[in-house]
Amino acid sequence: MSALLEQLARRQLIWQGNNQQAAYQAVSSGFAELDQKLAGGFPATGLIDIQTEYAIGELRLLLPYLVQQQSQGRLLVLIAPPAQPCADMFSSAGINLAQLLIINPKNNKEALWATEQCLQSGCCASVLLWQLAMTLAQARRLQLAAEQGAASLLLLRRQQAGLSLPVNLSMKLQPHQEGVQLSVTKRKGGWATAPFVVNMQSRWPQLCLSHVISAPDRRRAG
Amino acid sequence: MALYLYLQFPALLPDSLSRHETRLPLAVVNELHRIVQLNIAAEQAGVELNMALGSAAALCHNLQLIPYQAERQQDILHSLAQQLYQVTADIALDPPDGLYLRLCNMLSLHQGLSGYWQVLKQQLDVLPYRYYYACGTTALAAQCLARQQLNLVTADPAVLSGALKRSPLRFTELSCEIQQQLQRLGITQLGQLLALSQAELARRFDASLLSYLGRLRGDFYHALQYIQSAPGFSRYVELLYDISNTAVLATPLKQLLEQLEHQLQQMNALCYQLQLTLFFRGKTPQQGVSVCSAQGEYRAANWLTLCQLQLQRLQLAEPVAGLKLDVTRFSPQQAQTGGLFQPVTAALSALQLVSVLQARLGKQAVSGLMLQNQHLPEQASSQPLPLLHGRPGIKALALRPAFLLPTARPLTEAVEISCGPERLCPDGWALQQQRDYFIGRNSKGQWLWLYRTVQQGWFVHGLFS
Repeated sequence: MSALLEQLARRQLIWQGNNQQAAYQAVSSGFAELDQKLAGGFPATGLIDIQTEYAIGELRLLLPYLVQQQSQGRLLVLIAPPAQPCADMFSSAGINLAQLLIINPKNNKEALWATEQCLQSGCCASVLLWQLAMTLAQARRLQLAAEQGAASLLLLRRQQAGLSLPVNLSMKLQPHQEGVQLSVTKRKGGWATAPFVVNMQSRWPQLCLSHVISAPDRRRAG
Repeated sequence: MALYLYLQFPALLPDSLSRHETRLPLAVVNELHRIVQLNIAAEQAGVELNMALGSAAALCHNLQLIPYQAERQQDILHSLAQQLYQVTADIALDPPDGLYLRLCNMLSLHQGLSGYWQVLKQQLDVLPYRYYYACGTTALAAQCLARQQLNLVTADPAVLSGALKRSPLRFTELSCEIQQQLQRLGITQLGQLLALSQAELARRFDASLLSYLGRLRGDFYHALQYIQSAPGFSRYVELLYDISNTAVLATPLKQLLEQLEHQLQQMNALCYQLQLTLFFRGKTPQQGVSVCSAQGEYRAANWLTLCQLQLQRLQLAEPVAGLKLDVTRFSPQQAQTGGLFQPVTAALSALQLVSVLQARLGKQAVSGLMLQNQHLPEQASSQPLPLLHGRPGIKALALRPAFLLPTARPLTEAVEISCGPERLCPDGWALQQQRDYFIGRNSKGQWLWLYRTVQQGWFVHGLFS
């Protein structure tokens, strides 16, 4: 019987549950609870769709991942950032500024073109794109480009109704007092999760509310 | 023994035009309406050199005509000489259509005449020009033999002198009058003339004949002005029909770039910048496009993509009639070292990627980020050219926002302050302009970098993403 099984297995006619391969290579996100939920961390290549409001900590969530991606000497590219990036913050987070590229395209079309070029080139580790609208076809094309250049594209956009894009990982971020509340809506080779909090208190104590609440001199402005 | 090679180019102007148009019969006409140069298609149609324009047009209805441009002919000859300079040290121009090459010094390098000729022929075959050639023991002997289109490559003096003696007089540089006089004396070949004693000739003819014969024999010194190599590359191509679509410009441009690649490859060099000039037929002034490569390139294909990206952005006011490519500086090629164990072999290097992005989006759209030794947030980060290394030793200030708004906007909502104040004062302790910075969180959960002025105004200056 086992001889027959072996023969079938060799012809790849048998699928075994225990030799399931990971859908993508994971890179640690730097947050233990997040790594656990994502089975290892963020994908090293391919599209990552992040639906988020601006300035709630979405970049802080990604910084440890971006530093690791950049460590091989490849570039980090910011395309159409919402405002002028601040060197102090990126530098203190450990990002090598000599490997950082900022692109300010004039319109949507140019932004997509630049993204594709960067992903395809093979010399970029990660590309961050702030973009509102993206069609299925465009996302598919960028996914192929990212696979070709072994790069990851982090798509940061406001929450949008519509068809889900063909991505490796899709998540929604909500503001939270201790960091951000994250829910995975789609993950290649895995399941969506219920919302959970990524605690940033140890890493960014000044940007979390709970530590201030205990302080007596809390002030209000505005 | 001295040995010279003469190269004659019978149709520099038609051959210099884009190769793709060679199916069209093409002829160059001088101001006397005589055909002076032809391409192969015109030759096949029966047009001959020195034919009157009327008969040529009657023979071939679709004959394309170009006026003879002496200056352009000279330019082409000069650039040709520069290209051959790579394999021969001594080249002298013989305008309008010939080159003298002195071989004696080069033969030992190339192990004899056949080795040298092989190298030279390789060079010539890359170029689009047709050519005739012949060797000679003096420069004028080589010229005379090459004009007969003998295509003779030998160092054997017996063969060369035999061929020279059989040469008809019309291939020499003697003036028509002297040729006529000699013909009346029954002298038709150079051999007959060389057999005559010089004293006899001196009595009947003027000095020019004797001087020519002396230089032909090698008795008199023949001063040739050998060219010096000039750096750079400059080539012009005239388009046979006007091009109004920038995408179509790629074809003639590709040929120019291939010629550039050939030259760069031989010099083991590369260039960082090309200057492309578009010429128009009408009153529109010529338009210049400068194409840069941050890494330095020699390959035509890579330059072509960069040029195409630039040209796509260009609005042509008028169809293009001519194209010129200039490179003023070559740089030595440097080997690029890549890591052997790098996981991904990149299709482009970072510098190449930057060049591509800059060509399409414009230079100002692509930048890097650099930390400055400044305490004011507006001056702390600069956006210089990409991929530059900043000055080491500058400490980054902790707790700065990810993004700074270009101009601070007034605060209009309720904010919960979590951190601050941090007092920042502009230069010179201008106390009226000092700002107290706070970190605050608004009701939507956004983390803002706020400041309060001395006048108690509140502004949002940055976003903690």
